[in-house]
Amino acid sequence: MLKKKESEAPAFTANGLPIDRSIKIVKSKAAKREEVKRNLVAYSFIAPNFIGFAIFTLVPIVFAFALAFLNWNGNTEMTWAGLDNFKYIFTNEMFLASLKNTFVYTIGTVPLTLVVALFLAIVLNQKIRGRNFFRTVSFFPYVGSLVAITAVWNMLFNPSMGPINEILIRLGVEDPPRWIADNDWAMFTIVLFSVWKYMGYYMVIYLAGLQGINTELYEAASIDGVNTWQKFWYVTLPQLRNTTFFILIMLTIQCFKVYDIVYMLAGAGSGALSQATTVLVYEIYNSAFRYWRLGVASAEALVLFAIVLVVTIVQFKLDKE
Amino acid sequence: MMIESSGQKVLKVLLYVFLIIMAAIMLLPFLWMLSASLKQDRDVFTFPIQWIPAEPEWGNYSRIWTQIPLLTYILNTVKLTIIVTLLQLFTSSFAAYAFAKLRFKGRNALFLGYIATIAVPWQAYMVPQFMMLRGMGLNNTHLAIIILQAFSAFGVFMMKQFYEGIPTELCEAARIDGMTEYGIYAKIMLPLAKPSLSTLTIFTFVNTWNDFLGPYIYLTRDNLKTIQLGLRSFIGQYSSEYGLIMAGSVVTMIPVIAVFLALQKYFVEGVASSGLKG
Amino acid sequence: MKKALALLLIALISLSAVFAGGSSESAADGKTTLTWAVWDYATTSYYDALIDAYEASHPDVNVEVIDLGSADYQTALQIQLSGGGSEFDVVAIKDIPGYNNLYKAGLLADLAPLAERDGLDLSLYGGIIEQISIGDSFYELPFKSDFWVLFYNKDLFDAAGVPYPTNDMTFEEYDALARQMTSGSGASKVYGAHYHTWRSAIQLFGILDGKHQITDGGDYSYLKPYYEMALAQQADGIVQDYATLKTSNIHYSGVFYNESVAMMNMGSWYIATLITANQTGQSDAQNWGIVKYPHAEGIEPGTTLGTIGALAIPSSSKQQEAAWDFVKFVCGEEGGKALAGTGNFPAYQIPEVKDIVASLEGFPQDQNSKDALSVTQLYLEMPLHDKSAEIEVVLNEFHDQIMTGNMSVDDGLAEMGKRVDAVLAN
Repeated sequence: MLKKKESEAPAFTANGLPIDRSIKIVKSKAAKREEVKRNLVAYSFIAPNFIGFAIFTLVPIVFAFALAFLNWNGNTEMTWAGLDNFKYIFTNEMFLASLKNTFVYTIGTVPLTLVVALFLAIVLNQKIRGRNFFRTVSFFPYVGSLVAITAVWNMLFNPSMGPINEILIRLGVEDPPRWIADNDWAMFTIVLFSVWKYMGYYMVIYLAGLQGINTELYEAASIDGVNTWQKFWYVTLPQLRNTTFFILIMLTIQCFKVYDIVYMLAGAGSGALSQATTVLVYEIYNSAFRYWRLGVASAEALVLFAIVLVVTIVQFKLDKE
Repeated sequence: MMIESSGQKVLKVLLYVFLIIMAAIMLLPFLWMLSASLKQDRDVFTFPIQWIPAEPEWGNYSRIWTQIPLLTYILNTVKLTIIVTLLQLFTSSFAAYAFAKLRFKGRNALFLGYIATIAVPWQAYMVPQFMMLRGMGLNNTHLAIIILQAFSAFGVFMMKQFYEGIPTELCEAARIDGMTEYGIYAKIMLPLAKPSLSTLTIFTFVNTWNDFLGPYIYLTRDNLKTIQLGLRSFIGQYSSEYGLIMAGSVVTMIPVIAVFLALQKYFVEGVASSGLKG
Repeated sequence: MKKALALLLIALISLSAVFAGGSSESAADGKTTLTWAVWDYATTSYYDALIDAYEASHPDVNVEVIDLGSADYQTALQIQLSGGGSEFDVVAIKDIPGYNNLYKAGLLADLAPLAERDGLDLSLYGGIIEQISIGDSFYELPFKSDFWVLFYNKDLFDAAGVPYPTNDMTFEEYDALARQMTSGSGASKVYGAHYHTWRSAIQLFGILDGKHQITDGGDYSYLKPYYEMALAQQADGIVQDYATLKTSNIHYSGVFYNESVAMMNMGSWYIATLITANQTGQSDAQNWGIVKYPHAEGIEPGTTLGTIGALAIPSSSKQQEAAWDFVKFVCGEEGGKALAGTGNFPAYQIPEVKDIVASLEGFPQDQNSKDALSVTQLYLEMPLHDKSAEIEVVLNEFHDQIMTGNMSVDDGLAEMGKRVDAVLAN
């Protein structure tokens, strides 16, 4: 009994994924029974979450994916569409534009947010005066109601009368950018907003991650006469690997799914996003709830899903190495 | 151990300057919100921005309670948030233990499947899901929102990552002592996972508190509605009461900040590192 | 132990949630309950007026209102109706694209046979029925019909010593007047005119000659003069910059209340709003008037844009007859009078409406304002079209692109035509 447990320990890498086992152990009957029991115990842990998740989320998702190959308006009979929905979206200018914009947004937002969040967390993990205040304040943007904070942002970044441009003009910038109102600046403005809104959120995760680091590691490093930068590079960063991995994946997924902040910032006024600012989920929303072409919406969602899946698997593979 | 050199002093000053600027950037929009909450609707969006309203319109803070049944909405939101957070904490931390520390058939596939579903935007499966839940008689019930929010893959993923930072040797030792897996989860993992549990609490709390779309689709009756629905109701087809929106936003932000402050000490506490020595 | 307790607590609360959440169905007092889906219930005065009027003459009926919010009203409504399981007996329809979507999904009952059976005089809807008919059928009945007029601030005109606008103005005269009325700078700046960010506010000047349908696609160059007029006014500071309005959520009612615009084209719904705002002190624009929409050379004054609010009966409703009776009432003469009493305009043409509205306290006393309530020709903001939802999105997008200056008028209109054509071809 005890032996089995011992043999189990090295079966995992640091991040919990099993390492390739080249040696096949011939299982005895008892060992098999043990294995069944072990599986059952594990499943019992997962069950409370998984059953709820499977019924209420997984089933509708599978159903939605099937819809990608059908025509449906939500009420009348479904008809077979085959690959028509996919052919349609890949010839649709707006959908292609939304693909491009979503990539640009993701590539702009992910690294920036990650770095800023980590920096903030490390700074606010030090023993400094007013630490609690600063922590709370940086979490504010995440908490604030979206209606309110996007309204403020648009006010501050108003092209002709906003304080930001007033300052820029005073600093000698002759022709300050027109921010969200300018096709060339709109995405940049949205990235800026996202980083501002979400850095506090990811900082909190990093803070929790930092608590998990064994302080003895730092003490040992200090004895070795290592400087602050080296401590960060050789102790903190590797120890935060799990956290960084989690944040990287969540952030990527969240970026690919961006919708409401873009809509509230760039869609204000006309309620429509242009080719310069449209994003995937906005196109999905339009297909589903403005045109009621649920098959098309599902096809678009399936494309999004495939992209995120590939990116996630790549990240998993990189993490393993 | 640190000798305060003048260079370090300069660094410290720079750090504070940076932090104060950052705090200002974070706070500015909320100061504006506060100021707008004391204005008449027609004055909210005027330039140049008036940071301190000339005649503060305190009435906004009383009108939000009478124009909509805000108290009912708050009570509903509190109820939903507490239930969802508790369920989420329990099911996520429980399931994550298996993913992080147990070996079983189909683990990797199951886990990848979990994460992949996070990538599917809700808009894509909202209609089938709604029909399904309505078929179960859950339309216009709080249970619908609880079910939608309580079993997220996000929580499982997050807790798993944190558990993995806890040395497996600890579990090993406990197993050798004859502890069951449930015992290890309850007695060893949970206490050590306090920082991440409080993180998950904050996130779930904020998400449920600020959720708009879910309640919008499932809760159409006044006695069931939540805060965010109330705030949006100030934006009408032909007129928007921004003064009230801002006042409502200020009021409803307070509980979230309170929860954040209450849980913050757990980020500081951290893991009792000496106990972890493998 | 603690954990077990916590679990028990969760179970209990969840259980209570199930029971608390159960909706209460029709009362057992023998009354019929009609469930009516609307938007903006709290801030709209006429819903209660209509319900009160109906319940007074139908004591056995109880009308229950469900507010689905205004921003995504049509989305929420269609989700609720999809699959036929909804509890609604009567639904308000907010716009034409939404109506078209519901019809296409087969969610609405055909009202034409009922109207014929009961001998409704459809000509009293002033041509609207023809515009919402699909073949011989129609699936909604309009109860409210708004039209666009020009609001102006009399005090500002008096102060500038400029004569008021009239009921017969060409666009050139209107433009000149707007320029004449612009003055000041900074906080005391007065803009001559104002266009809200909706595409209708500018784009639809172009369809008033009756020669074009906005859903036709192809060549949109007929909109060019109006975009050029608006952009020139914008460049010269005669109207507020579109990008500013868009990014700062500036609402048209606010700028009119604050007396910072002299003229503003807006829908007739604003009459009731303005009267109330003046009474409650929200607005400083106490002295105001309306005139007919400006028009192109050779077009009759009183030609304007319209938008309708309508009622429909979901085909899933189990009380079709009771629902139809309510719809008939609200969209007919009695409902029309109740609506007019709140300062709103019924779609059903009752001759007294003009007098009822004009005699409301707070409505301007001059003859021009009263005359402005007569409409010669009404074009729907969005005509019924199989693809109206898709077209609407394209029209909005390029309105935005042109007005923010991201595209020149020519490029924007050309691109708009191309994209509408792509929608039509699909």
